[in-house]
Amino acid sequence: MELNKLENLLDTIITQSESELTSDLKYTLNESKKVLLKSYDSLENEYDKIINDGKKESDKITKQILGSAELESRNKQLAMLEEYIEKVFSKVISKLENMTRTNAYSKFLSSLIEESIKILGTSDIEVSITNKDEKIIESALNKFTTVKLSSERITCLGGIKVRSKNGTMMLDNTIDARLANMKPLIRKEIATKFGVNN
Amino acid sequence: MAKSGIQYSKIAEIKGPLVVVDDVDNAAFDELVEIQTTYGEKRLGKVLEVGNGKAVVQVFEGTTGLSISQTNAKFVGKVMEMPVSEQVLGRIFDGLGRPKDGLPDPIAEKFLDINGSPMNPEQREYPRDFIQTGVSVIDGMLTLVRGQKLPIFSGSGMSHNVLAAQIARQASVVGTNDEFAVVFAAIGVQYSESEYFRRSLEESGALKRSVLFLNLADDPAIERIITPRVALTVAEYLAYDVGMHVLVILTDMTNYAEALREISAAREEVPGRKGYPGYLYTDLSTIYERAGRLGGKNGSVTQMPILSMPSDDITHPIPDLTGYITEGQIVLGRDLFRQGVYPPVNILMSLSRIMKDGIGEGRTRADHQEISNQNYDAYSRAQEVRALVGIVGKAGLTDIDLKYLDFGDAFEKEFLTQAVDENRSIDETLLLQWKSASLLPKNELTKVKDKFISMYYKSTK
Amino acid sequence: MVAKGRIIWVSGPAVKADGMLDAKMYETVSVGESKLIGEVIRLTGDVAFIQVYESTSGLKPGESVVGTGNPLSVFLGPGIIGQIYDGIQRPLKELSKKSGSFIGRGIVTSPVDMSKKYTFVPKINVGDEVSPGSILGTVRETELIEHGIMLAPDHSGGKITNIVKEGKYDIETEIASVDKNGQSDNIKMYHKWPVRQPRPYQKRYDPTVPLLTGQRVIDTFFPLAKGGTGSIPGAFGTGKTVTLHQIAKWADSQVVVYIGCGERGNEMTEVLVEFPELKDPRSGKPLMDRTVLVANTSNMPVAAREASIYTGVTIAEYYRDMGNDVVLVADSTSRWAEALREMSGRLEEMPAEEGYPSYLASRLAEFYERAGRVKANGSPDRDGSVSLVGAVSPSGGDFTEPVTTHTMRFIKTFWALDAKLAYSRHYPSINWMSSYSGYLNDIAKWWSKNVNHDWFKIRGEIYGILQREDTLKEIVRLLGPEALPEEEKLILEVARMIKIGILQQNSFDDVDTYCSPTKQFKLLELLTIFYHSGINAIKDGASINDIRSMPIIGTLLKARMEVTDDQIDKLEQLNTEINEQFKNIKSVNQ
Repeated sequence: MELNKLENLLDTIITQSESELTSDLKYTLNESKKVLLKSYDSLENEYDKIINDGKKESDKITKQILGSAELESRNKQLAMLEEYIEKVFSKVISKLENMTRTNAYSKFLSSLIEESIKILGTSDIEVSITNKDEKIIESALNKFTTVKLSSERITCLGGIKVRSKNGTMMLDNTIDARLANMKPLIRKEIATKFGVNN
Repeated sequence: MAKSGIQYSKIAEIKGPLVVVDDVDNAAFDELVEIQTTYGEKRLGKVLEVGNGKAVVQVFEGTTGLSISQTNAKFVGKVMEMPVSEQVLGRIFDGLGRPKDGLPDPIAEKFLDINGSPMNPEQREYPRDFIQTGVSVIDGMLTLVRGQKLPIFSGSGMSHNVLAAQIARQASVVGTNDEFAVVFAAIGVQYSESEYFRRSLEESGALKRSVLFLNLADDPAIERIITPRVALTVAEYLAYDVGMHVLVILTDMTNYAEALREISAAREEVPGRKGYPGYLYTDLSTIYERAGRLGGKNGSVTQMPILSMPSDDITHPIPDLTGYITEGQIVLGRDLFRQGVYPPVNILMSLSRIMKDGIGEGRTRADHQEISNQNYDAYSRAQEVRALVGIVGKAGLTDIDLKYLDFGDAFEKEFLTQAVDENRSIDETLLLQWKSASLLPKNELTKVKDKFISMYYKSTK
Repeated sequence: MVAKGRIIWVSGPAVKADGMLDAKMYETVSVGESKLIGEVIRLTGDVAFIQVYESTSGLKPGESVVGTGNPLSVFLGPGIIGQIYDGIQRPLKELSKKSGSFIGRGIVTSPVDMSKKYTFVPKINVGDEVSPGSILGTVRETELIEHGIMLAPDHSGGKITNIVKEGKYDIETEIASVDKNGQSDNIKMYHKWPVRQPRPYQKRYDPTVPLLTGQRVIDTFFPLAKGGTGSIPGAFGTGKTVTLHQIAKWADSQVVVYIGCGERGNEMTEVLVEFPELKDPRSGKPLMDRTVLVANTSNMPVAAREASIYTGVTIAEYYRDMGNDVVLVADSTSRWAEALREMSGRLEEMPAEEGYPSYLASRLAEFYERAGRVKANGSPDRDGSVSLVGAVSPSGGDFTEPVTTHTMRFIKTFWALDAKLAYSRHYPSINWMSSYSGYLNDIAKWWSKNVNHDWFKIRGEIYGILQREDTLKEIVRLLGPEALPEEEKLILEVARMIKIGILQQNSFDDVDTYCSPTKQFKLLELLTIFYHSGINAIKDGASINDIRSMPIIGTLLKARMEVTDDQIDKLEQLNTEINEQFKNIKSVNQ
């Protein structure tokens, strides 16, 4: 399947980014652990202060400080991880932006058209593309006689937007949309690669 | 559900929370829908009815500001799902399960259908583990058991949130180190109420094992249909995949039922009682029945829904249908509340159905059921006598009647009443039960076996 | 021709399909790509209206609908007892093997274990003429149930040309061949029967034998007869389910069918956990060996809830036809009525009261009409009964709502649960003033013959005391108890004793949970003796306070828990003790 190629592409990019970023991430994780340790110190000070205020109260505060510190540290980790995920994503996007429109890409476009026809249940459709694909679309459109190319241009990384000719149905089959759909799965994959998730 | 993602732009009608889309020939019942406006706003909804080229879509965030010409509906090709992983602990989400704490989306271990699936009754494990809440009236007379669904029926302004928060802080299973995870779903409640709860969890250090879902009073009403479901989806994940014991607090289910009524009215359905849809019972059961334990799994989901009874009326459809599904109810009494009693539990109207299986020898104590029955009986008699005093005065009473009056006072002051941060052990609770009962002559204790009387009865004279 | 159509509309459990000209009313159909099970409930032109027994989430217009040619039927043969089924007779245990802890969709399973072998004992010979319903042979289904293998009621009958020898066979084995006019037919150990059609019988008897439940307020005050109908309405928290469980546990029937219709999941689990451990008081065998469960809990699909009642009652009739007394407990008929209402709403039928369909009353009547004590079809002669007990869950505890009022027209025993009694922990909270039994006179003969010839009189006397107390209560409410003369105070005291010592019964107490007819009578008799001695004492100058302070009262009130069924002589001794203690009062007063 041509569509798998996109996923393969993403995979390679992710692996590349991974080695560049893991060392950074390890550093920040260590930092967050330090935050946690520090809070233990401050907890001890606090504890001495309140030891006379009765056991119940101190228990409560122990729990509270410990609980919030753990949570705070965890949340920092989450935020950092997300930062790196975003970095991976922007790398992916910039690579996709500069992708050369090869023959394979043309095949990819026609598979998108084919898929859109299947989903919409009609081949009476109009396809919108980005400026960059103006040249390559001709070859992709060859075998679809009923499919029209819209004069309207869209901004996206690549791929197509499709509209039924009566105008009631629309399908976003751009690389951007596909990337957005896959994002939760990709995030999980990146997190696992960094060895962070759970 | 087949792959989809088609956007349809022919909107036939917008009424109340519903959008009717025309010329749709590829949509499934229950499918998730993204309503998009031409100016870039996105709202979520789901398909309530599909066929003959039309799809009726319920929009969770409401239809305010949507127009026929500038709206389109994207059918996503799947039902609504909640991303779950252990990372959801310590997080705060909105009523649809989206992060509300400024942190990123949780990295999903799984995506789960928020509607869940009915548990196979054959696979359920019968709830038997006594949960000590540290609140005497609950532990002693309305015992909560792991996997139970026990609601609090309250009225406006009463201390249900204080009680629920106390239970969430103190609940533990004696003899284990298991800690409860708390899933809290605020359904149309005020900010101050949900904040009270959050702070209470924070102060007890429980926030790190809690998940909060907040649909506040000024959040979209229809979203409330979703809030308890995303909360329970997370609870089920934590219970059955991670193996935690989860206490789910849903407040306020009355707001949930009102949202359901709004949709039903917009669909012009034949209403049942008080304008609520005829399927309110079935719908509520798809929420409440998600409590329980499963054979072969470690965790459990215990539910404590809170609902405010309109005009304190327990026969109102919402408490009524809830009571038919839940395993008992804790009813708060306006009179006790006015007298400043905390917790103001009206024990006579309250009940815990599976108490009998969580108590007794080897769990709490052999006499637990009987002394509790006796106190119910005596308190009920005390109430009758109190009513009589109002008519004939104390002079018209028999000696026995007077003893019951003493019992009633002692029961309310010493057993029922306790401080918000007072955590009583089950032994303390049972001791207090016998202390009240011992105000009555032995001959009156008809619900307790003689051997228990000789063990625990302590005459005050 | 089986119907093959296409879905054109989906809304919840309701689906419309076109291209269904060949479909029949109440035919079961397979719906959509996931092959969900549905039933045709209306036909308009080529459009069939289908209620789907499984969740329709994800179903799309355009998917196919295929008819099966058969109406919704149950499988009837050995292996049913001890099972827990969903509303359309799928065994929940098998479902869990296929879909885990949660119920999946589109699963097809066999209702019983088809590979299990039973020892078949033939009861007829080659050359015998057999009519429909006749027993061909028996197998031991459980320790408690000898299962009669019957010729299906819709079979034409004929001459036996072959019958297998005694031996072990699985239920697919052809155990006999029947020939009619040269047409031979091979018979297996099972047949199928459409659930919406009552099974035929030869004739019906009047119900004259009580169905004993071991529950004093039921057996003594508001009895049900074998083959009778009873209803138990009550607001939530009044103990409906506990009372129904008690009936299912202790009723003196051979088979119990328990339908959890739109109720709690944990309640079915409770039965599943408890019944195998409880022993039948008569045979000493596990109760599960005579019980069938049909569980369609509240969160399971609503259409299957509608079907569950019919599935249950058809199974009950099948075991009746073997010559058994069967009790069917349906908890709750209100949830069944709500399922009717929901489907009716989706069909856009004109609603009657509270949105219920206008045919609610006739459906209820049809259901309760399936009760009865009958002579079964075929040979040998055998009598069996189906007793129906339906719970009603009136909204807001209001007995004037449609399901309660219609039900009252079709049943003869009415156990009204009372929230006030429940609040004061008087369980079972059956209100003795508003409950009634239409079988009282019919079954009185049984009691006087089998327990004591004074039963009717003594029962009447005790009930009379309760009635007098009810009127006196009004006066007490206005003036206080001290305003009454001593005799009337005695009435109040004895009424209190009846309530605590007889009417109340603790289901969770090992002794009190079941009370034999003899013990029921003895307890009743002791209280009448106490009452008469009390009247005499008061005539002789004793005060009510003297009587109240007698230690025997505590003993009498606890006798229900402290004296077991095999210690009836202990109750006889209390007789003497009552006399002794009243003598003491007299001597003090003189």
